[in-house]
Amino acid sequence: MNVIEIKDLVKIYNSSEVKVKAVNGITIDFEEGEFTAVVGPSGSGKTTFLNMLGGLDRPTSGSVKIGGTNVWELSSRKLIDFRMNNIGFVFQSYNLIPVLTAGENVEFIMHLQGKPKKEREKRTKELLESVGIGDRIKSRPAKLSGGQQQRVAVARALASKPEFILADEPTANLDSKATSGLLELMSEMNRKHNTTFIFATHDQRVMDKARRIVTIEDGKILKDERFER
Amino acid sequence: MKDNFKIAWRNLWRNSRRTLITAASIFFGVFFAVFMSSLQQGSFENMVDNMVRFYSGYIQIQETDFKEKRSVNNSFKVDNALETSISNNMHITHSTQRIESFALTGSESKSIPAMLFGINPEKEEAISGLSKWIGEGEFIASGSKDILIGKVLAENLKVHVDDSLVLIGQGYHGVSAAGIYRIAGLLDFPLPDLSKQIIYMGIRNCQEFLSMPNLITSYVIMVNAPEEVSGAVTDLHKDLSKELKVYPWDELQPELVNLIEGKVASGKVVKALLFMVIGFGVWATIIMMMHERRRELGVMIAIGLQKFRVVIMIVIEAFFIGLIGILSGIAGSSLLVWYFVKNPIIVTGEMAETYRSMGFEPILKFSANIDIFITPAIIVFVIFALISLYQIYYVIKLRTVTALRGLN
Ligand SMILES: Nc1ncnc2c1ncn2[C@@H]1O[C@H](COP(=O)(O)OP(=O)(O)O)[C@@H](O)[C@H]1O
Ligand SMILES: [Mg+2]
Repeated sequence: MNVIEIKDLVKIYNSSEVKVKAVNGITIDFEEGEFTAVVGPSGSGKTTFLNMLGGLDRPTSGSVKIGGTNVWELSSRKLIDFRMNNIGFVFQSYNLIPVLTAGENVEFIMHLQGKPKKEREKRTKELLESVGIGDRIKSRPAKLSGGQQQRVAVARALASKPEFILADEPTANLDSKATSGLLELMSEMNRKHNTTFIFATHDQRVMDKARRIVTIEDGKILKDERFER
Repeated sequence: MKDNFKIAWRNLWRNSRRTLITAASIFFGVFFAVFMSSLQQGSFENMVDNMVRFYSGYIQIQETDFKEKRSVNNSFKVDNALETSISNNMHITHSTQRIESFALTGSESKSIPAMLFGINPEKEEAISGLSKWIGEGEFIASGSKDILIGKVLAENLKVHVDDSLVLIGQGYHGVSAAGIYRIAGLLDFPLPDLSKQIIYMGIRNCQEFLSMPNLITSYVIMVNAPEEVSGAVTDLHKDLSKELKVYPWDELQPELVNLIEGKVASGKVVKALLFMVIGFGVWATIIMMMHERRRELGVMIAIGLQKFRVVIMIVIEAFFIGLIGILSGIAGSSLLVWYFVKNPIIVTGEMAETYRSMGFEPILKFSANIDIFITPAIIVFVIFALISLYQIYYVIKLRTVTALRGLN
């Protein structure tokens, strides 16, 4: 079943003197349970593509349908709620609210969703345990390593029970040990819970884990390959 | 909502030094403004109290035309209705009748124009403590035929206690008035202007002198506290006959009111400048704070926090800073004000002489009027309300993607 349907997506930046065609006509679908790496050299348009897909950056033209909803037809307030309920985000850095503990960061989004306290606390504990840092529930982000912070970010992204998780270069700031740990974690989540992951990366180790690799260059899809792993 | 407060409160202490410096600047502003207003207000209250006691009273009843033309022809008779109205008025503590007029005084050497007051000595004493100014001789009693004159006037006339003084004046409806009176005492007023031209005599004596039996020019009234003036005036007004008018002290002493208003205005300018500097300082801090957290705010909005919630969070944080500043400022200044209200500053040396020569006690009094504290608190509140408008604008304009990319 297709979770995401993208059609003729274009993004042109006019802000500088020259027009930049960051994304130049992308049409692609993503299915439930896929583990996809969007790869390509720096500046090829990966971030721009993911941002439009995630309801963060408005396309110049084209459409993004998530679970049948054309997200760019929503009002900006509805769009924010849509993101909260349907998409989990893991960014490269600064993912967490620094003044909240790991547990509070995870709980935060469930709080926004209006989940009852009991459920929130139970799920937070489970999620942090499943990402391997159940013992750091009371630590603030500054007290955690980069890898641990990204794990909390994954747990938070999962907390709202989203349709899929978007991760923009989640391992870019991590050392190799932390990188393989995080990758192991995400692919386990994918296999165990059928969670759909889409990430942008130019990290070879990430690509090695991916079961689908979409290669972008100059804002266009160059290759779309699937692997049995 | 509880989350908003929690996050705002914790954010406050992320850069605790900056928060404290910002709160300290507000503390300083509130503290200074309260202290300044307290001193100013205190000295005004003291000034008004002095002037009102000594001269005008808080309220005066006069014949309608007396204010325009200070002539004994514009005098009036006190009837029972007026007496009843005054004695039944809850606000009024003291009242006394007066005649205000002019007379020419003469001795062998020269003649000098003077202000002549017909007074009830006992009642006047109760209001202003007139007898404390007696430098030589004795105070007069009701029914006395003697007079009191200013010390400088006596010097100019080269007369002494027990000497007789000739007074010539114009009585009621042009009747000529003349008399010889014994000087019972000399009044050593600190105000030279007063001392050189004032004469007091008993009111009956004065009515006789000016051929105006039972008539007076002014009924001087004191109330419990300045705040009760308007209430008393309203009550009196109801019972008053048409040819009489009732004046509160500020209408009787417009120069004093002008002086106070001028000083209040310049005080306001100083305080406005102070709060403007502080306001811009706080604003700059808030700009810095929000700018540093751009990416963080971007992440929050990205993961599903509505912008209005983001606004609430950062506005609460700013108001916390304001609140710390206001509360500590009021706490600190009220301690100081309380101390100075209990222990007014005694002015010494040359300044003290200046005060005395203007007819004031050489004392700096402070006021603890609640407005002194409320006004700066409101000003700080308004500053933060304006800053919160900026915060709202900032968040509305914040573009999630650019914030996430760490761009402007
Ligand atoms: N806000 C922007 N204004 C102008 N150009 C932009 C903006 N954001 C990205 N770009 C440009 O769009 C292109 C694609 O950028 P990006 O999506 O970040 O690529 P990637 O994530 O693959 O490195 C780049 O040429 C980049 O300079
Ligand atoms: Mg990128």
